[in-house]
Amino acid sequence: MQCRELEVFFEQEGLAPLSAAARQHLSECHACKHFFDDVTAIVAVAHQLPAEVDPPEHIWISIRTELVREGTIRGFSSSRETAPWWQSFAELFRSRTWATAAVAMVIIIVGFMLGSKPGEQVLQVQEDPYSSTVTALSQQEHDVANMQLASTGETSAVDASLRQNLQQVNEFIADCERRVREVPSDELAREYLTNAYRQKAELLSAMMDRGGSLN
Amino acid sequence: MKLSTVLTGRILPVIGAGVLLWPCIPADAAPQRVEKHFTVKGRPVVVIRNIGNGRIEVKSWKNSEIVVTGTKASDKIAVETEQAGDRIDVSSSVVDFSANAKEMEANFQLTVPEETELQLRTQTGLIYVEQVTGDMTLDSVAGDVHLKEVSGYIIVTTTGGSLVCTQCAGKLEFSSISGSAQVLQPSLNNVKLRTMTGNILFDGDFVHTGLYSMRSGKGLVEVRFSGNDSFDLNAQTATGTVDNQAAEYLKPDSHGVKHMASKFSKGLFGTVGMGFAKVELSSYSGTIRILKRD
Repeated sequence: MQCRELEVFFEQEGLAPLSAAARQHLSECHACKHFFDDVTAIVAVAHQLPAEVDPPEHIWISIRTELVREGTIRGFSSSRETAPWWQSFAELFRSRTWATAAVAMVIIIVGFMLGSKPGEQVLQVQEDPYSSTVTALSQQEHDVANMQLASTGETSAVDASLRQNLQQVNEFIADCERRVREVPSDELAREYLTNAYRQKAELLSAMMDRGGSLN
Repeated sequence: MKLSTVLTGRILPVIGAGVLLWPCIPADAAPQRVEKHFTVKGRPVVVIRNIGNGRIEVKSWKNSEIVVTGTKASDKIAVETEQAGDRIDVSSSVVDFSANAKEMEANFQLTVPEETELQLRTQTGLIYVEQVTGDMTLDSVAGDVHLKEVSGYIIVTTTGGSLVCTQCAGKLEFSSISGSAQVLQPSLNNVKLRTMTGNILFDGDFVHTGLYSMRSGKGLVEVRFSGNDSFDLNAQTATGTVDNQAAEYLKPDSHGVKHMASKFSKGLFGTVGMGFAKVELSSYSGTIRILKRD
């Protein structure tokens, strides 16, 4: 085997398993051996690098729930399928840098709106803030469930506690949602629901972090 | 049989094998203890981040020295300490990710100066702090938090762990999903307790000008006050009940602000004494109980 042939072999077959001819050439050719060692080292290091992580959903949810809590935006709907225009826009901001910039932008816009517009006009920004929150939380919960399925480790007391608490949060949210649907003007129920969404976002975020770091 | 024969024929091979196999014997069989001493000058800040499971216990003494004693269950977890001036960092980290929960256990005992700021985090296991003055942030997933005779701005966050705060002073914030909170004989002037499904018990005096806010989504919120207390009360629940066992002490609000519950919720408003402190109790579907201590 010649150097060029080995190069083609690497392009087509990757690094392993090497054929007998490739191994033979590597044992005789110092240049190819160095090249092979370098590529192997780069691949090994690349495997150790953390994968690009999606921006935590709780950032968006926290902003939204905070706006609801402050009365800047309000509304509730059981519709979970239709995502608002800005959610698809948010899909663009999957990288950490873009997410940071996006969150900063949202904060600036919200700050500007709070400072310059009367409340009634701000209410028109989004009539149905909870539906996108529910969608985002469902997606994140789905991701956590997949992560747990992929985990081969034993379930620790901490994981069990987190799951148990998630179940309690879900039950509480379902209860509050029912109440808000039945009595939309119940501000107290609405407030508890908003806080429950926020707590669920934080809990899922903690479960994500834990899944990524320990299991 | 000659001694030399026995030595060379039986004992030496055994010893030799033992020496060869020594590295193969698991080094994580027994708990390992670490003790560190740190001299500090002013009011130190102690940060403990326990990635594993375990108990953190903090007590105080009058010396300007911090003693950290840690035990770890295995070599699969590492305990590191660092001093930067008056800041002491103690952390545990996973060395071997194949470690199971038991192998990831690390317990810490600290003796600190009476005036010390604390930032403690653990997963499971008790956080216990006694007789420490200073701001403290305590985080736990499933472990309980017990505080005794502490004062400062105290922030406790748990997922399922409960809080017992006995004779605490200053400002207290508690947030949990299923954890309960008991505040006993406090001298707190600012209290904010939040839990989704846990219970809340406040048994003690309300400091004049103090602000007290307690909310539980589904649990019981119980307040036991004394005959000398003075506070305005605002209790509201969406679908739960208000159990007023102190009707004879509760007068209509004397401050000119007419409170009314929303027509969708049940509320109780009134004043005890002169109404110096402000007490807000809330529940979504649980019970709010107000009673006077014997």
